[in-house]
Amino acid sequence: MRLFFSGLRKLVRRPATWVTVGLLVGLLALIIIAVGATANGRTVRANGTEAKLLVTFPGAYDRILQFITGLGGLFAVIYGAAIAGSEWSWGTLKSAVARGESRVRYMLISYVSIAVMIGFGLLLTFAVGVVAAIIGAHLANVSTSGLGDSATLSDLPGRLLKGWVAVVEEGALGFTIATLARSQLAGIGAGIAFYFGEGFASIFLPDIVKYLPFSVANASLVTGTSSAGMFAGGASALPADQAQVLVIVWLIGALIVAAVFSDRAEIAG
Amino acid sequence: MSGTDGLALATRGLRKSYGSRQALDGLDLSVPAGVVYGFLGPNGAGKTTTMRVLTGLIHADGGTVEILGKPFKRGDRRRLFEVGALVESPTFYPYLSARANLRELAASGAHVPSKRIEEVLDLAGLCDRANDKVQDYSMGMKQRLGIAAALLNDPKLLLLDEPANGLDPAGIVAMRDTLRALASQGKTVLISSHLLAEIQVMADTVGIIASGKLVREGPLKELLSMQAIVKVRVQPNQVDAAIATLAPLFAAERLTETDREEGWLTVHIAADRAEEVSQKLAGAGIYVSGMESGTDLEMLFLELTGGQAITGEGTFVGLGGTANGSATTGKETAE
Repeated sequence: MRLFFSGLRKLVRRPATWVTVGLLVGLLALIIIAVGATANGRTVRANGTEAKLLVTFPGAYDRILQFITGLGGLFAVIYGAAIAGSEWSWGTLKSAVARGESRVRYMLISYVSIAVMIGFGLLLTFAVGVVAAIIGAHLANVSTSGLGDSATLSDLPGRLLKGWVAVVEEGALGFTIATLARSQLAGIGAGIAFYFGEGFASIFLPDIVKYLPFSVANASLVTGTSSAGMFAGGASALPADQAQVLVIVWLIGALIVAAVFSDRAEIAG
Repeated sequence: MSGTDGLALATRGLRKSYGSRQALDGLDLSVPAGVVYGFLGPNGAGKTTTMRVLTGLIHADGGTVEILGKPFKRGDRRRLFEVGALVESPTFYPYLSARANLRELAASGAHVPSKRIEEVLDLAGLCDRANDKVQDYSMGMKQRLGIAAALLNDPKLLLLDEPANGLDPAGIVAMRDTLRALASQGKTVLISSHLLAEIQVMADTVGIIASGKLVREGPLKELLSMQAIVKVRVQPNQVDAAIATLAPLFAAERLTETDREEGWLTVHIAADRAEEVSQKLAGAGIYVSGMESGTDLEMLFLELTGGQAITGEGTFVGLGGTANGSATTGKETAE
């Protein structure tokens, strides 16, 4: 447990944690409030979907969560890569190993700490997003009567949990890529490239890409009122229940790769 | 492992290669318990590779390691609970303070009482700056913190790779006193260093490696007594005549032509026999224009390692001759 709490303390004190959460929270709040403030004069989608939907409850809950898991997924890749990469770049993994610490335990518990921080960040961002949507609704003269919709609220914990698992899976990919690269910068760069590369490839290879990690993370959260965004893959996107299973498979697979590589790696520098 | 009783650390036939380069080639180290052991070798000789193997950072291709009387194999990480190490440069989270870094480091490996963190901060002279972020530390302060971190679990065996790097003179003296005090408490300290003068005043025992092999090991005083030399300078055109005169007389000793252009010869005999050398040369009509005598770890080191680093490792060679002008050419006229 001391390693877990140490991991949490390190993350809480790390500027990258607050920069990442701050950027996500700031962007979300800015976009929602801006949309609310300008919604009365325009529509933002070619299909005629009103911008007001973003600030209309109870559907706003789902859209906020979709935003968080979408952009937040990219941020999680970067964050996971930054944390894992720095252990190699700064040589702090070396210090722990030289003290007799298990490499596998160290890496896995480090990621558990990251997963907890991702959960905290998701909840905080969601809360700010809801507040921003209420403000946006007032600016757009939209009723907030759906805020307390009991069916949506009862479903919300489950949706947040699925969102957390999806973002944690995406963070694990960044974590593993940086571990393989043994570098913070290379890990972040490769993680971002992988994220956008998968989205781009989904245009041409939807039947393959739908099984890849970012696509399944997005597909796992799709409901009747949302889509899988840039990873949609058209009609090829997996059903949410299948995607949720694959999210777990990718998460565990990524962490196994990171653990095995760390265990066998020769640590130098 | 045979013959390792009383040793804090022993390696037998340790081998490690990186591609086609053999970094360790059957290294046999025997580090007695309760001593300061100077681990010496030129750049690329395999010192850091050895340190990495001893701390489980890399795995040897062959051979055995015994730490504090017990085998240390892959998976025996708990053996390191009694070992403190500073391998290469000290590593920390730059955004955390020294105190926080030690606290987080203490969360890994062996359990460390929280009061121990204050003890090692005090020992390293960092109490006043313990709450400053490490990113604001000078190189010397990071080095002090690295040594503090190595002492965190009150180790029985301390492995330090170039611990004096970046330390100011006062820091070096303090470190030396601390390490000597640890050895006097029965702990074993292995120091890898290229600062030979520092090792000469601090170490009880030294091991010198070259090209991944041990070339000499033993108590420092014993090695230095074997390394006693008398250097004489004659006219350059009389070097051959001087060799011819001295070689038969010192048949059991080694006579080395150190620098023909300057006329320097080195005879490996005790300093109190310098007069004898002078007499023999004078008797042959060869007059000595300069004479030096003494013992020097640096001379021993250069002689055993050939006075050169491994090719491509970045050591300066060929700038005005050998490192201190006293290295041998390897052209020995008598053995």
